[in-house]
Amino acid sequence: MSDPVTTGGMATRPQGAAEPVAEAAGAARGLWSDALHDLVRRPLFLIAFAIVGVFVVMAAFPSLFTSVNPEFADLSRSMERPSAEAWFGYDLQGRDVYARTIYGARPSIVVGVLAVIAATLFGGLIGILAGYFGGWIDSLLSRMGEIFLGLPYVLGAIIILSIFAGPRSGASATQIMFIVVLVMAFLGWPLIARIARSSVLAVRHSDYVQAARGLGAGPARVIFRHLLPNALAPIIVMATISIGAYISAEAVLSFLGIGLRAPVISWGVAIADHQSLLRQSAHPLLFPAAFLTIAVLAFVMIGDAVREALDPKLR
Amino acid sequence: MGRYTLRRLLQLMPVLIGTTFLIHFMVWQLPADPFAGRCGERPCSEAFIARMTEQFGLDQPFYIQYLTWLKNAVQGDFGVTFNQVPVITLIENSYPNTLKLALVALAIEGVIGITAGVLTGLKRGGFIDNLVLVSTLFLMGLPIVVVGFAMKWIFWSELGWISPTVSTEVRWSELIVPGFVLATTSMAYIARLMRANIAENSRADYVRTAVAKGLENKRVVGVHLLRNSMIPVVTFLGLDLGNLMAGAIVTEGIFNINGIGLTIFRAIGRHDATIVVPLATLLVVIYIFSNLIVDLFYAVLDPRIRYE
Repeated sequence: MSDPVTTGGMATRPQGAAEPVAEAAGAARGLWSDALHDLVRRPLFLIAFAIVGVFVVMAAFPSLFTSVNPEFADLSRSMERPSAEAWFGYDLQGRDVYARTIYGARPSIVVGVLAVIAATLFGGLIGILAGYFGGWIDSLLSRMGEIFLGLPYVLGAIIILSIFAGPRSGASATQIMFIVVLVMAFLGWPLIARIARSSVLAVRHSDYVQAARGLGAGPARVIFRHLLPNALAPIIVMATISIGAYISAEAVLSFLGIGLRAPVISWGVAIADHQSLLRQSAHPLLFPAAFLTIAVLAFVMIGDAVREALDPKLR
Repeated sequence: MGRYTLRRLLQLMPVLIGTTFLIHFMVWQLPADPFAGRCGERPCSEAFIARMTEQFGLDQPFYIQYLTWLKNAVQGDFGVTFNQVPVITLIENSYPNTLKLALVALAIEGVIGITAGVLTGLKRGGFIDNLVLVSTLFLMGLPIVVVGFAMKWIFWSELGWISPTVSTEVRWSELIVPGFVLATTSMAYIARLMRANIAENSRADYVRTAVAKGLENKRVVGVHLLRNSMIPVVTFLGLDLGNLMAGAIVTEGIFNINGIGLTIFRAIGRHDATIVVPLATLLVVIYIFSNLIVDLFYAVLDPRIRYE
């Protein structure tokens, strides 16, 4: 997860070759430690962070939460309502909805987080290159991004997924997850690239970048030691906010029958499987939907808090 | 203004060509066999394949195929489907429904979003302000699938107010619930945008002048403040119309509305490239042009903006 805590180390050299004495003296806090200081004082952020923590543990060790096998099906219990022994009831196949909801956390969250990481790395790289070099490289990369932005997200995902991971392709569970992550990153990178480009443009002509260049630093050194640490904040904000959006995009794609499917247990798959049974009993759909909502909300709240903490204008 | 419009139109060309080429290439060229699954469980007969290959020019290089298609599309000829139905008939049947749905959603998000934004922007920090801030966060986070099924469950299963599928005539009244579902996310964005604008502009010089002149509060807010704060919101609404039409696939799927999104989705399921390419292109073109129109509309709303 891209929490600002791990990137706090960047604060030690925000001004390139600035003296590390100020940091040691603790007189002036950098942007990152300032943001962290601000974040831990927001109750909403702490609650959201705790919720995300629970979901991460759920995704990593689902057996901590339930000892029921999510694949075990007893048809005689099909669609039984919630009771003391099965808190969330049973689904159409007579499987325990609680167990399936717990096990559904892993694919939903893994897909969302991996897609954001992939989109951020690729989009960030493209955006930084476009912003740093400018000229025809910038024009070429920006036009390329616009072409992908012109493609509406769901539409593009449907087209690509139906070609590569359609029901006929016979892809395995891991392959399907991998393809879904790639497609989401493939369609999502231009947004990150645009933000990375504009934040690099904002610091490109700063004195410390000029100074580094004047001292003979190559493009790689200027980008990674001087530009990146100072242009990182908007990218991190965008990435954090996107995690929630990507998790819900996964559910949308699964609902349409082209994202994750049957061998994979995920919240979106549970919603897709029981959509036609809404009238008979809603519980096999409502519980996964509630978990999905809570997870997405928690990520969106973290993103919102990080944005406010990192953007001094909003204070 | 004229020169600016022309320049923007010229800049659109590479994007339009790139996007349509991307769609065309992905749908026609990437699947190994365009006839896989087209004839049910049996493989297609030789005669059928030969006739279709001839009709759609599948034996030609891909760039020729694309250019031929582009030439016809620019002249308004979207071709026929594999079943020999003109694509324009499909568009005529489904497009008005999508447009209706998007307009209903736009009206709902406009009314609710702007009202909430104005109420909270004028009185910051109060109870309503905090309530709206938390609920917009909630609305932005809610996955549209969840909203759709929650609404369908409440209004159909529990209350019985709506029918699970929208009838073929697609009456306006039937579109209220689907329109609301489609509008949820944008509603929250509009409320936040409006709130921020009102809060910012209420400190502006012209508002202070208007108050100092002794104008009544209604006039200051309604004419001076509101009109200036509406500019970014109108932009957003315009952008969103294209977005709503392209993003209506899920809503149309949940409520079975015979719109363009559902038509595309079904065609993708049947691997019918003859439908997918023109309809997807149509959505992309609408999306891109709605961006342009909004940009040009700026100048009408705000005389300070001049494109020369």
